[in-house]
Parts: sequence; C-alpha cells; structure tokens
Amino acid sequence: MADTQNAAKNALQHPAAAKIHSNRLRNALLSLVALVIGIFVLRYLGGLGSAKLTQALALFAIWGVATVSLNLINGTLGILSLGHHGFMLIGGYTTALLILSDDARNRIQTSARSQMTDFTLGLSVQNWLHTLGLDRLTTDDTLWVRFLIAILIGGLLAMLFGILVGFPSLRLRGDYLAVVTFGFGEIIRLLASTRIFAPFTNGALGFAGVPGEFGKSIWWTFGFLAITVFFMAKLKYSSYGRAMEAVREDQIAAEAMGINLAYHKVLGFALSAFFAGIAGGLWVSWLANARLDNFAFTLTFFFLVAISLGGTGSITGVLLGTAVVIFVRQYGDPLEESYTIATWLGLIGLLLVLAGIFILIFRNSQRLRPRFHPSIAVMGLGGIVALIIAYLGGAAFWPAFNLNIFQAPTASLAWPWLQDTFRGFGMRAIFLSVLLIVIMIFRPAGIMGRNEFNWAWVFRERRDQPSEEERRQDAWLSNPALNKAAQDPNDQDKGES
Amino acid sequence: MLEVINVSKSFGGLKAMSDMNLKVEQGEIVSVIGPNGAGKTTLFNLITGVYKPDSGDIRFEGKSLLGKKPDAIVNMGVARTFQNLRLFSNLSILDNARISQHHNYRDKLSWFDCVFRTPRHNRAEAEMVDTALEKLSFFGPRLMSFRLFQPVYVLSYANRRRTEMARAMATGAKMLLLDEPSAGMNPKETREITQIIRRMRDEGGYTILLVEHKMNLVGEISDRVVVLDYGQKIAEGSYKDVINDPIVIEAYLGKRDDKDESEIAKAAAKDGRTV
Amino acid sequence: MKRRGWIPWAVLAAIIAFVLFRVIYLISNQDPGYTRFNAAYFTRAFTEAFTLGSLYALIALGYTMVYGIIRLINFAHGEVFMVGAFCSYFLFTLTPFPLWIAIVLAAFVAYGAARVLELWRGSLKDPLTLTIAALIFALSIYGLSSSKLNFLIALPMSMLLTGVLGILIDKIAYSPLRTAPRNSLLITAIAVSFFLQNVGLLAFTNKQTPYRPDTMLTNSLSFNVAGNEVRSTFLIIAIPLVALLLVVALTLFVTRTRLGKAMRASAQDAEVAQMMGISVDKVIATTFLLGSMLAAAGGAMYGLNFGSLNQPAIMGVLPGIKAFAAAVIGGIGSLPGAVIGAMVIGFSEVFLTAIFPKIPGVFEGISEFKDTFAFALMIIILLFRPSGIVGEDLSEKV
Repeated sequence: MADTQNAAKNALQHPAAAKIHSNRLRNALLSLVALVIGIFVLRYLGGLGSAKLTQALALFAIWGVATVSLNLINGTLGILSLGHHGFMLIGGYTTALLILSDDARNRIQTSARSQMTDFTLGLSVQNWLHTLGLDRLTTDDTLWVRFLIAILIGGLLAMLFGILVGFPSLRLRGDYLAVVTFGFGEIIRLLASTRIFAPFTNGALGFAGVPGEFGKSIWWTFGFLAITVFFMAKLKYSSYGRAMEAVREDQIAAEAMGINLAYHKVLGFALSAFFAGIAGGLWVSWLANARLDNFAFTLTFFFLVAISLGGTGSITGVLLGTAVVIFVRQYGDPLEESYTIATWLGLIGLLLVLAGIFILIFRNSQRLRPRFHPSIAVMGLGGIVALIIAYLGGAAFWPAFNLNIFQAPTASLAWPWLQDTFRGFGMRAIFLSVLLIVIMIFRPAGIMGRNEFNWAWVFRERRDQPSEEERRQDAWLSNPALNKAAQDPNDQDKGES
Repeated sequence: MLEVINVSKSFGGLKAMSDMNLKVEQGEIVSVIGPNGAGKTTLFNLITGVYKPDSGDIRFEGKSLLGKKPDAIVNMGVARTFQNLRLFSNLSILDNARISQHHNYRDKLSWFDCVFRTPRHNRAEAEMVDTALEKLSFFGPRLMSFRLFQPVYVLSYANRRRTEMARAMATGAKMLLLDEPSAGMNPKETREITQIIRRMRDEGGYTILLVEHKMNLVGEISDRVVVLDYGQKIAEGSYKDVINDPIVIEAYLGKRDDKDESEIAKAAAKDGRTV
Repeated sequence: MKRRGWIPWAVLAAIIAFVLFRVIYLISNQDPGYTRFNAAYFTRAFTEAFTLGSLYALIALGYTMVYGIIRLINFAHGEVFMVGAFCSYFLFTLTPFPLWIAIVLAAFVAYGAARVLELWRGSLKDPLTLTIAALIFALSIYGLSSSKLNFLIALPMSMLLTGVLGILIDKIAYSPLRTAPRNSLLITAIAVSFFLQNVGLLAFTNKQTPYRPDTMLTNSLSFNVAGNEVRSTFLIIAIPLVALLLVVALTLFVTRTRLGKAMRASAQDAEVAQMMGISVDKVIATTFLLGSMLAAAGGAMYGLNFGSLNQPAIMGVLPGIKAFAAAVIGGIGSLPGAVIGAMVIGFSEVFLTAIFPKIPGVFEGISEFKDTFAFALMIIILLFRPSGIVGEDLSEKV
C-alpha cells in the first residue's frame, strides 16, 4: 500500500507533469504579439484600398469560419460530412431575411417574378422582426446590432438542424453516413426551392438587397474567424476535444472507455452547424444577395479541398488550405480567359513535364521501385512534344501573369487550329479538383497532417523526444544485461520503482 | 461483485454462449480459459454491453447491466481491454489515459468550461493528469517520461498492452476485464505483467477477470479458473483442480486414452519451470 | 434483438394500397377537371415509370458493382453517365471525323472491345480476342471517318469508349488509393466527379443539347387501353429491353465466367481473393469497365427518352444520386437489388407526379417533392435497414 502512495506522489512530481505546461507564459506572450501584428497587417492591407484584395481577404475569413467548423466534424470527430452547404443555407437565409430592410422586402414582394409573399399563420418575417424588436434597428448606427442578432439566430437555427443531422451518425458510419449528410444538405436546398418555403426564400430566384457592409468588411469577418478559431482550438485541446478524437480513432474503444458516442457526435454536429450558420450569414452579406445557386454542393466541395489540402484535423492547416482555395478562386480568373490552343498546349505541356519531375522525385524519396515508372516517361515525353508544338505554334507563355520571359516566336507551324482561341471556362474548378486528387494520392494527410502550428514547433521543442538522461534510463530499462534486478526472479520490483 | 446468471447468446444458428453462470467476488482474480472459439471474448463482450444477451442476467454490485450501453457500463465501474488492441493510435499515451477519465467529469465539466478555460476546467485537467500518471506508474517509469507524449502507434507491442491496461484503470473502474494481457509479450515481460496484475489487485484494489492463454500466468495469479468450451462452462475451481480435470483435458486435447498425468499439466509445469 | 422483418413489407403494402386508392379515386371522380385520369393515363404513367426505372437500373448497377468490390461510393458514376450520353451524341452528330481523330477513337474502341472479349476468352493475349479487336479497330476507323453513324452503332461504340474512361478513372485516381482509408477514396471520387463535370462543361457545351438521332426507336407507338388511346414511342419497349438484355448479360457473366467468379470472390474478400491467385486489379478494372458501359448505355437511352441532354455540370448529378439511392434501397452490393431499387425509385418518381397532378386539391404541390422523396427514401432505408431490400449485413465486428 505504501508503495502505491509513493508511486502516486512520484507521479505528481514527475518531470513529465511539469513538461505538460512548460513555457506557457512565453507562448501566450508570443501569441499576443502575433495577434497584434496580424491586426496591423490586416489594417495595412485594408488601407491599401484594393477592392479585390479586401474582398478576397473577407472571403478568406468567411470560408475560414466554414472550413474550421467543418473541420470539427471531418477532422476531429472523423465523420465525413458533406452537408455543410445546407447548414450555411439555413444560417444565410435567416440572416438575410432578418437584416433585409423593409423597403427592399417590399420591392421584392411587389416585383412580378416574386414568389415571396407575406406568409400566413402569423409567421411572416414582419411579425418576426417585430417580436424580436429588430424592426426598430434600421439606421446605419444600429444596423450592426441587428446583423449580430440575426446572424446569431441564423447560427442557432442551423444548430438545430445540425442536431437533427447528427442523429443518423449514431446508427451509421463511414461512407454511408457521408451520403446521408450529403442527402440532408441537398434536401435542405431542394426544400428551399419548393412552393412551401418560397414565401421565405423566393424559390430558386432568391432575392437581392442584402446589406453587404458586414460580409465585405475585413473587421467583421476576421472577428468572426478569430472567435471561431479560438472556440475550436480551445475545444480541440480539452477533454471534450480529446473525447471526440477518440471517437475518430476508434468508436468501439471510445465507447468501451465510457465516452457517450451519441452525445459527443451530436455535440460536434451542433457546434459545427452553429458556426456554419454564421459563415452562411456572412456569406450572404458578402454576396449581397441570397440565391440557392450560391449554396450548392460545390461550396462543400471547395471546403473539402481546403481541409484535405491543409490537413484534416489541423485548424491552422485548414486555414492554410482555405487561403490556397481562395487564392485560386479570387485570383485564378486569368485561367478562365480565352487563349490560343497553342498557349493551352504549352500550359498542358509544362504541367505534364512538372508532373513527371514531381513523380520522379516522389518515387525516389519514397524509395518506390521501379524508380523510373513508365508513366514518368509518358508524361515527360508528352509534355515535351506539347511544349515544342506550342512553341512552334507561337504560344504566348504565361500571358496570364504578364511574364513574357520567352519572346513568343511568330507562328511557324501552319496548323490553323493552333491559332483558334479557346476559353478556359471552369478551369479553376478543374484545377482544384485535380489538386484534390493529387493530394489524396500523394499526401492524403494534407500539408500539415494532424499537426498544429504552435510555438514549441517554432522553437523545435519536442516533448516526445527523450532527453539524454531519459534515453539512458530507457536503455537501462529495456536492456536485460544492464537490468540485473529483472533477471532475479525473487526481486522483481527493483527494476521498476 | 459481478454475477453472470444463466446467460445465453447465439449468432444466427451458432450458440456462442449457453447458460453461463459466473460469480466474481470483490478482490478476486478470476481467469477464464478455454480453447479458441470457446466464447471467452464473447463473455467479455456480453458483460461490457457490446452484445446483448438473448436470455439471462448480468449484475454488477447488485445492479443489472442488461440493456445498458458500453459507456454506461464503464460508468458503473467495469472497464475492459481488448484482445487485439484498440488504442487511440494517433493520440499520445497521456491523451489515451486522459480520455478514459472523461466520463467521470461529464457532470462536473461542460464543453462551455472547456472552451473558456474556467477554473473548474483547470482543476479537472490537473486531476486527470494526476490520475493518468498514477495509473501509468504501475508499469514503471517506461511510459512516464518522453513516451507520455508519443503517439501510440510508435510504441512497441508490449508498451501498447501496458498503455491499454493503464487506460482501463484510469476509467476509475472497480473491476477490470483483461483480454489476453500478455499476448505478444516475451517471457520476461509476461513475468512482469503477472506481477503487475497482482499489484493491481493488491495495491490498486481492482477486481480482475482475465482471459489468458499462457498457463503459467494463469496458474500464478488466479484465485479461481473458469474453463469454457463451446460457450459452456465445463469446469471451475482452483488452477490445480481444473488443470487435472479430465473434461478440461479433453476439451483442449481431444479424447484419448488417459494417462496418469495429463499432458497439459505437464506442459504447463514445464513452462512454469523454464520460462 | 429480434429482427422485425415485417415492418418494411407492411410499409410497402400500405404505400401500394394508398397509391391504388388514389388511382381509383382519380379515375372515378366525375368532376370536369378530372376527366383525363382514365386507365390510359395510368398505363402511360406505368410505362414511363418502367422506362425510367430501367434507366436508373442501368446506372445503379455500376454503383452497386463498384461498391461490392472496393467498398467505394463512386460519386463520379453520375458523371460517367453524362460522358456516355455526350459520347453517343457526338458519335452520331459529328461523324464523319477527320482520319486522325477516327484512328484515336477507334484505338480506344478496340481496346474496350478487347477488354470485353477478355471476359469471354479469359485473356487479352488470346488470338481470337486480338483478331476480333483488330477487326473492330479497322471497321471503327472506316465507320468513324466515312459517314454519319447510325444510332445503333453509335450506342455500343460510346459504351466501349466510356468503359475505357471508367478503366482510366480507376487506374489514375482510385488505384493508388487501394490501401488508403475509405474516406480518402470517397473524397477522391467526389473530386473526380467535379473534374468530369467541369471538363464536360469546358469540352462539350454549357447549354441544353437537343438529342434527336435518326432512329426508328423514337417512332410513335399508340395502342388502346379501355377505349382510350395511349400515345407513346417505341422507346417504352426498347429501353426496358436493352436494359434487360444488358442485365441478363451481366448476370450471365458474373455467374458463369471465370472472371465473373473472381469478381464475386473479390467482393467477398479482396485480400483473400488475391492470395488465391486472383488478380484483383484486373477484376476491379473489369468492374469499372462494365459499370461504365452500362452507365453509357443508360446515358444514351436517357437522351433518347427526354429528347435532350442537360448541361454537363448538372446532367449527371440527379440521375446519379437517384441511381445511388436505388442501389442503396435494393441493397448495395447486390445486382438484383439494384434493379429492384431502381424500379422503386422510377415508380415513385413518376407516380408521385401522376397521382398528385397539379390541379387544385389537397396534395397540390406534392409533385415538387419527387427529388426530395428519393433522398428521403434513401436516408430512411440507410437508417432503418442499411442492408436494403435484398442486401447483406455490413456491420463491424468487435
């Protein structure tokens, strides 16, 4: 008995216990400094006055809220959820209806194509606004309060629906569950277009006139992003977050260790849906209209790309992935313009050559045999042939980026089709889907894996690596020659305590 | 402490367990042995609520476990380990040992506390770390230093077994069901785990029901041995009695002309001497 | 736990009883607005439902086969269906092609044909296989470069081309992920689906495409039911017939040939099948080939049936999802299940609009819910009977 107490006391004074909370003050200070720098950077970027940049930044923050919240289900809880656009739709439409000014609503209702009517049963938007006291908040000074209340209500409604969608997760798992969440998301969208909900949603047409100053403001969007990231990070590194991760790792074991699967899964869905609803509210404000096209499954697909690219389960990774997706979405429009076939051919050839080189490097670094896979030869040769044809066809390389390093020669190849123009309509989506396939094949864990950016990583502190003393102790424990006590059957405990 | 009363379970047409009766008293170490497919793991699954028995009753401290979910059963004080390790393999040892304490804090600690890091949360976290370290210290310092922060998948097989046992202990259970605790361990480690199981009973105060194939381990620590075959209990008693029971020998080795001393006892005795 | 097997049947009986009641009500109602609801109206609805069910069956078989072998919900299957439809469209509208395009396409067609013959002969290197493939290669070059193709020739050709596309998708996107977690595979499938949608948008068109090949199948066909004329086309016979032929051929292949047996063995346990000397990669490629061919046939028939193709980004989505729902309802992994499920979806979709027409009444707007209904049915089946109507149990072992 005395031994146990000793062991317990040793445990408490054990250096490992101190290691858990080491360098806390330093990290907090560094985080604070980083936050201040971040605010200044945002302010500087906002002050540049570039509308495009501001839009892109705001969109990054909005989608960041959505991806970080989706990450709670997909990464932490380990359930592939494909219905995030449905949650966003609920939050978005609720917010839009509640912040729509009376004038705008009347205009929509009187327009010829509108299906929006004053709903019966005392459920009309007008009554809602009056009950909530929101109809008094119409001036520019008070509209933000209205927006705040509206977005919270939107989040809460989405949360209710999240709880509803969470219940199938108690019975199903894996891909079946993914399909059910997808089905729920689509059902929300299909229902929103039916006549029953048309008084609210105006059918497939949707409605414009949503105040856009919140979704387009860097401060509002990044404020919500900061709250979301704070919330999710704290949740992840807490007992509840660990419990959810346990559900991800092994449901049966988690249940056998006393974790209530139902509660934690539904909790995850509810919290995630809440923030998705908020993202939806910001999204309609950014778009300045509410239309069903903007809440298609494509949205969830882009989130999925961002999460998989950055690292499923890692919040900082997910933000990184979102940044890449937003960059492609907002700055990738040169991809979708018209160029000659020769230019496209040159681009394809370049990509093929790069892909061949990449695979060669990948196979070498992974020590895969054979090193020189036939696909590399096919890609390399095909790429080079395409490049040559493109060059002779007078391709303007890199016109999109105004980097005319190669002086495009005059077309010396007399194939007229090389000079036809072709518009790369939808090229961004193609790029992102190819990117996703490539990630899944070559690095399924994403850029960051499950690791989070943290200060210990910056300072190269590895708690899971033994110090010199620990290494010696460990060798002593596991080497029978050093451990004489263990060889003596009568005196077993010496080696342990 | 634990009573299994007339429990039967069948999968389709296969009777996996029929009329099983078992009683485990407080502070006992009871071993369940039997040939492969005898229903040992099924018994564990029935007790821990993974399967529902077709008939019969399972009681723990007088309360029925029937119809309870596995997590509720852990809450009542019965925790288990798995035959083929089910650790949370991407999480660290410390996390593994903390996760199993989560259910104890469900009423005391809401997710709201966790997000806003209230004093309640800090207190609970400190307690969890203490308990985790205390349970891990049963296995000596090897899991306690840098390994605490290593993900489980980098550990050796024996260390994973130890982690799983520590994890089960950390649930705060009074009774542990250990499914082959020494599987995959070398003879030296087996001896050590035998000592640890005894210490878990003597010092930790756990009641232990274990399934094991290594007879020297069973013989050394069991107060009682229960032998299963084809889902039925065919013998129960002290190790010596059971091992010489002709029915048991038949179950293990098949029917044959009896010799003076059973093959299995011989084999076991030999094991015990040399290992 | 007791299996309450009677509940689904009771629900089914209740639904059928309700539909019958509603049909009789509509027919017997003497009000002026209801006169068009006669026996002919419902016969037409029935044939439409049967046709639509056959189309869904062709797509659903691909889902169910792929799921049976590699446990992947092939999200891209709806897009393969779309590509198949466009393939056949281009084959009968844009022909004759320039020679070099004809050669390239013919090479793909011949490769697809060789893979199909392989099912019968057992090997790609078999002399008969090679001979026939070479013959097909030559004939295809001639056919593609000389004149306008007949629909009935364009159909098998587009099936073979799409089948090769299926093999390519598997080789490029799915085969590197054989050992990866299933969620990664599913995400890849979604990515492939988006890729095909957008490439379709880029390469084909972004508008509705009229789909009117010059074929006798679209000739009108009319017959009398209880004194009223039912006007339809030969498609109501042709589509179910083609579907039936393909399903029978598939069933024969799966049950009778060596590769078919290998396929069933791999569906049970791919790892063990591999140890028993079955080339699982070949089996998977074959599965994708067959599934994509069926989907292409479905796509061409779909175009015929509706007279136009939707734009590529959305054309495959709804039929794909509905066919998946059909596969789930029938019991994913089971071939007859897919056909039964497809019929359930086809009938529910058509009859939902047929018995709740847009005339003032109690259930006026309910036909708007026909798409929702397919999703809802799928979710309900997944939740309460994940093995579907005839499927196997897929629960995890401890």
